[in-house]
Amino acid sequence: MKHFAISSVIAGLALGTCNLDAAPQGTKGVEEFDPLAFPGKVVGDVVVPVPSEVFSVLDKLGEPNWRAELRKAEMPTTSDRTKLSLLFGYTVAEGFVAVQAEDKETVKDLGRDVINLAKSLGLSKSVLPHAQSILDAADKSDWSTIRKEFDQTQKTVRDTMEQMKDLDLSHCVSLGGWLRGTASVTSVVKKGFNPDRAELLNQPMLVEHFVASIEKMPAGTRDHDVVRSIRKGLAVVLEQMESAVDGFTKDAVTEIGKTCDGLLVEILAKK
Amino acid sequence: MKSFFGRTVLITLVLALASLLHATVDESHDFAMEAAMPFVEEGFIVREDYWNGEVKSGQKLLITHQLFKGNEYAFWLGTANSGVELDMKVFDEKNQPVDIKATSDKYFMSVRVNPPKTGTYRIVFELKSKQERSVLWALAYGYR
Repeated sequence: MKHFAISSVIAGLALGTCNLDAAPQGTKGVEEFDPLAFPGKVVGDVVVPVPSEVFSVLDKLGEPNWRAELRKAEMPTTSDRTKLSLLFGYTVAEGFVAVQAEDKETVKDLGRDVINLAKSLGLSKSVLPHAQSILDAADKSDWSTIRKEFDQTQKTVRDTMEQMKDLDLSHCVSLGGWLRGTASVTSVVKKGFNPDRAELLNQPMLVEHFVASIEKMPAGTRDHDVVRSIRKGLAVVLEQMESAVDGFTKDAVTEIGKTCDGLLVEILAKK
Repeated sequence: MKSFFGRTVLITLVLALASLLHATVDESHDFAMEAAMPFVEEGFIVREDYWNGEVKSGQKLLITHQLFKGNEYAFWLGTANSGVELDMKVFDEKNQPVDIKATSDKYFMSVRVNPPKTGTYRIVFELKSKQERSVLWALAYGYR
């Protein structure tokens, strides 16, 4: 991901100045942090965590049955690039679940799905080396390499999309992955509910980022049936997250999970 | 013909400068990865995504990032410019500073953080150079 396109939000705006050259003088350093008077630039790019970042915490809090979380979904045949991008993110996230489950055959199946989706997106050249590494590493049960390659695969695809000015599709990859990852997290949390586990769903900044990304998409993508559903679903998820001031209830976790699952059904639909 | 030649030379120069800039930005990431090496030996998983860019010397930068309680995180800030003073702090959702363990080297610095809660954190950092007006930087992170 190239991040030259830093969104220059100059905190000095609040103070009536937006001159980059007017670097603050005499400040005591970053300890004096006030977001409304931040004397610097806000880097607008958001790095979305990969599902394994959350999964690793769930592993520390118990021993989830990751095999039970795997979904043997059949990839729909489509030439719809928005849907293909969502499916790509979904598949990579499913790959992280398979790594957690240490299920090498599923990892291989998903590696092949990654190749097919990349071909349909016209991105096979950049993805093939990573997908091949996933298949090779699966044979050796080299889980850390597989995890790294899934992360690299997703980054390569998103970088390539961004280079081709398909920023909307790049966001769809992230969205598909986040929805699948969050569906897994809610499923695991529901099976052994406790506040520490449920707190992992406190991710309003990410949801707001996705909502903002959808709003900036070109009309053709923004008005796509699945994207419209996702936008509505994210509002439901955000409401649950913002209501969880004293922690998430089991009902809230169920609602977030149900919303994500419903959206995944739409992403995976044959239509 | 003369103007065509001039334009070609100009385009070549611009492209050469652009490729030089890319190489140097990549170099900043290389230094961030150098900082990550001892952490990888400790079991940290390095994320492939990272932030990078060019900033005016002394200009503070803020990144908003999701952290999960239960993970230990490390942030690695690298620069391709020499003689740069690096600083990084982490703040929680209420803008309170979070305990960190920071170490610095010539071209990079590392910060460890154990987020006390799951949520949004703000990473604030700056790079000060006495020689350069602007500094190239890259910030990567890992978790375990």
